[in-house]
Order: sequence, then C-alpha cells, then structure tokens
Amino acid sequence: MIEFHNVFFSYQPGKDILKNINLKVNKGELLAILGPNGAGKTTLIKHINGLLKPQRGYVEVLGMNTKETTVAVLARHVGFVFQNPDHQLFAETVEKEIMFALINFNFPENEIKERVEKILHELDLIEYRNRSPFMLSGGERKRVALASVLCYDPSILILDEPTIGQDYRQKLNLINLINKLNKEGKTVIIVTHDIEFVADFIPRCIIMSDGRIVADGPTEEVLTNSKLLLENSLLPPQLVEISLALNISPPTINFEKLVSFIRKIIESEE
Amino acid sequence: MKVFYFEYKRESSIIHKLDPRAKLVYLILFTILTVYFTNPIILFLIFLSSLPMAILGKIVKKWIISIKGSLFFIVFIFIFNFIGIFWTTGNIIDTIIISIAMAIRFVSLISIFSIFFLSTSPEDLMQSMIKLKLPYEYVLTFNMAMRFVPTLAREAQTIIDAQKSRGLEFEKGNIFQKVKKYIPILIPLIISSLRRAEIIADAMESRAFGASKTRSFLYTITMSKIDFIFIIICIIIFTLFILIFKDILLHTIGLNS
Repeated sequence: MIEFHNVFFSYQPGKDILKNINLKVNKGELLAILGPNGAGKTTLIKHINGLLKPQRGYVEVLGMNTKETTVAVLARHVGFVFQNPDHQLFAETVEKEIMFALINFNFPENEIKERVEKILHELDLIEYRNRSPFMLSGGERKRVALASVLCYDPSILILDEPTIGQDYRQKLNLINLINKLNKEGKTVIIVTHDIEFVADFIPRCIIMSDGRIVADGPTEEVLTNSKLLLENSLLPPQLVEISLALNISPPTINFEKLVSFIRKIIESEE
Repeated sequence: MKVFYFEYKRESSIIHKLDPRAKLVYLILFTILTVYFTNPIILFLIFLSSLPMAILGKIVKKWIISIKGSLFFIVFIFIFNFIGIFWTTGNIIDTIIISIAMAIRFVSLISIFSIFFLSTSPEDLMQSMIKLKLPYEYVLTFNMAMRFVPTLAREAQTIIDAQKSRGLEFEKGNIFQKVKKYIPILIPLIISSLRRAEIIADAMESRAFGASKTRSFLYTITMSKIDFIFIIICIIIFTLFILIFKDILLHTIGLNS
C-alpha cells in the first residue's frame, strides 16, 4: 500500500535528511514513528502525499509512483493533519473550514452537506459550526483541523504530533477515534514524541534516527529494548523501567502482565 | 519562497567588518544615484558597481539568489510602466527605454539593499541606529521585523504544504482564481504572526522591557580607519557619477522635449 524503496532526500546537497529508507506499510495498519528531533520523521511522512519527492529511490502509494503524481491526486487518498492547526485554519466558520477540502476535490453539493453534517457530529463540533475557528480553544482547533481532513474520507491518515498539548481525556478520545477509523480499514500513521501513548495504544512502532530507520517491529518488542531507546535519545516507557528495576525478563509494556508479575513476586516473598 | 534573500550569516570579510554606519553611507549614496539617473545604461553601471562589493563580501551566491528572486517583480514593473507610459506618450521607443530603465533601477535597489543586509549583522545594525540617536523602541521594532523575515518564510512554506494537503492547487484556474487561492495562505500567516507578536510582547514585558529610560549595551561599535577610507571611496564614486553623467539624464535619448 505504501512502499519506500531506497529513498534518499536532502534539502541541501551533501546533507542527506533521509538515508536509504526502505519501508512497507500494509492496508489497515496502525503504526507510530518515533525518534529524536531532526531524525527526519516529518520529512519522511511528507513523501507519502507527495509534498516532497525522493531524490533517489522511489515511493509508491496505492500503486502510484509519487514522482509522477501531483499532491492533489495523492491528497485525495492520503489525509495529512499538520502539527499546528493554526497553519491551516483560515475560513470564517468551522463549517466552511471543513467544506474547503470537499470543494477542492469537487464533491457534489448535496454530498458536501451530508459529509459536513456527519463529521461535525462525529467529532463533537456541532455546536461550533457557525463559530469562527480562531475563537476556539487549542484542543478544539486541533479537532477542527482533524475534521477538515477526515471529512473527505481518505484511506490513509497521517497525524503529525496529534497528542501535543492535549490532556489525558482528549488523548483517550483521540485513540478511540483512531481505533474506530482503523477498524473501518483505514491505514493510520502517527508521528509523535509521546512514547507512553505509543506503548499503550499503537501496535507497530518505527524508530528513526539521523535519517535512518533503526528499528521497525511490534511495539512490544521495540519499546522494551531499552538500550536501543537510550541510544536514540528516547526514554523507555515507565512500565519497561519498572520491569527492568525489578529484573523482570523479558520486560513488558503490558500493564496487566506487569501487575501479575509483581503479584507473583510479592506472593513468593510472603 | 526565496523572494528577497536578505538573511544574514556570520562571515569574515572586509565588507562584514565595516562599521554599519559606513555601509549606511554607501546605501544612501547609491540609492540616491539610482533614483537620480533615468538613463538605462548609467543605471546598469550603478548596478554593476555592487558586484565588487558582493565579491569582497564573499556573498556572491546569496546576492545572485536575491537578484533572481526579484526577476518576477522586474517583469511586472516593466509591463506596468510600459502600459502606463505608452498610454500617456504614445512613443514606442521612449516607452521601451524608460520601462527598461525602471526595471534596472529596481534591480539596482534590490542589489544595494541585499548587499547591505547580507553583510550587516542585526545587532550591529541596531547599534548603529542607536548611535544615530534614533529612539530605542523604533530601532528594536525594526530589528525584530528583520529578524522574523526568515521565520515568516518558513511558516509560509508550512502553510502552503498544509493547504496543498487539503487539495489546494495553485496551478489551476485563471488569474483571478489564482489570486483567490492565496487567501487560505495569507489568513493563517497573518493570524499566526499576530499571535506570535502578542507572545513576544508578553515575554518582553515579563523581562521588564522599558523599566529604565537609559539603556546600556553589551558591546558597542566604533569607526576605524578603514571605515573612513570606505566612506571616502563611496563619496568619490558618487561625485564622479554626478559630475560625469549629470547631463545624460534623458537628453541623449531625446525624451526631454
């Protein structure tokens, strides 16, 4: 579905930001990309909807080579929600904001109305429909930005730092929504620094460092490798740290597993 | 998004080491020259005179980028002048010559200003303005505006990316539709700038900006021998231009009738 083949990219000659990236994402997967600042995460995801084109190698999305396809065509299938909602909100009302992409993609008028209605309900924005997006709070603006992409129902969804500045309840709402979209068959890719969020909710995890993919696999495997994490300026999830402190082998990111381990230790002490 | 490439980078060259006030003399004198003359050949000479400055300042590459960036405007200036002047005079040859002159005048101005800003650090510039007894608040405002140009350019790029990701296509449509497509870029850019301005104002106030009337500075600038030599050279070139070419405003091309 998404395939990177030996992709290299640089903004300035001689300073590669992406170095020989090979990556395959199947339909319906849910994965997170982690890594220190400047590792190339955002550069990588900008290749998926064609905002950036590889200088060497190639990227295929839904069978289309991104070099030969315009951003507009790719964007119809790849929804991209940017980190800062203030970089995209511009319309007078929330409703018009959501209509923007639908008009760009030439949806018929009656369908635009239906879709706006549906997404306003889904993201709990119905009471703000006639308000200016600029008068909303940070979390609400983030939701409007999300709605303005989700409305056209792209089959791939990319979220850049969706959990930044969100409280725990909003994070739970977010993961519920992501899980729901994922169950509907959408592929979801999340770029984040929020390692606890990944440990708790995301099944596949990629770690990038200095323009390379240094780890790719099930989150349970990747995030319990504390040596790998520390080498790449990432702090292991708290559950892994507890497991290591208690010499539990193999360490785990699963709360229930850890609890039963600790129970066993306590019982054996008694 | 590299329209006017005025971003300063620390570099060690004669031009960088000059006192900003000396360079300010250069900037003012040569700006007067470009505004004073209307003959395209002389204007081109003035434009060429900034080349040695660029070479001495080791900023040729960036200088070329900012000239290239202004090409778009040059075409505009040429077309508008052409239409306007032809409308009033009806003389095709004069119209072409003046339009060319106006375009070259614009490039010369861009060239002179970009050399000044590419070789002068914002701190030095601020110092020199304060030495010229300008009020500190205005100097700081100007300085901060300059400092945020690259930030703004980067932000504009992000906004363009975000709107392209929502299906905005700049290539499609006629000229009016194309202009309309800039609304989704400009509004977020203006709003986020206003938001940032507010945050900066808060940050400055929380660090007691304006608490005392007299300010002291971490370091100050001084004029040296080489600065005075540079100023003298600038004045000589300026006077030569005026003396030699003062009669060749537009007479030579028969436009003074």
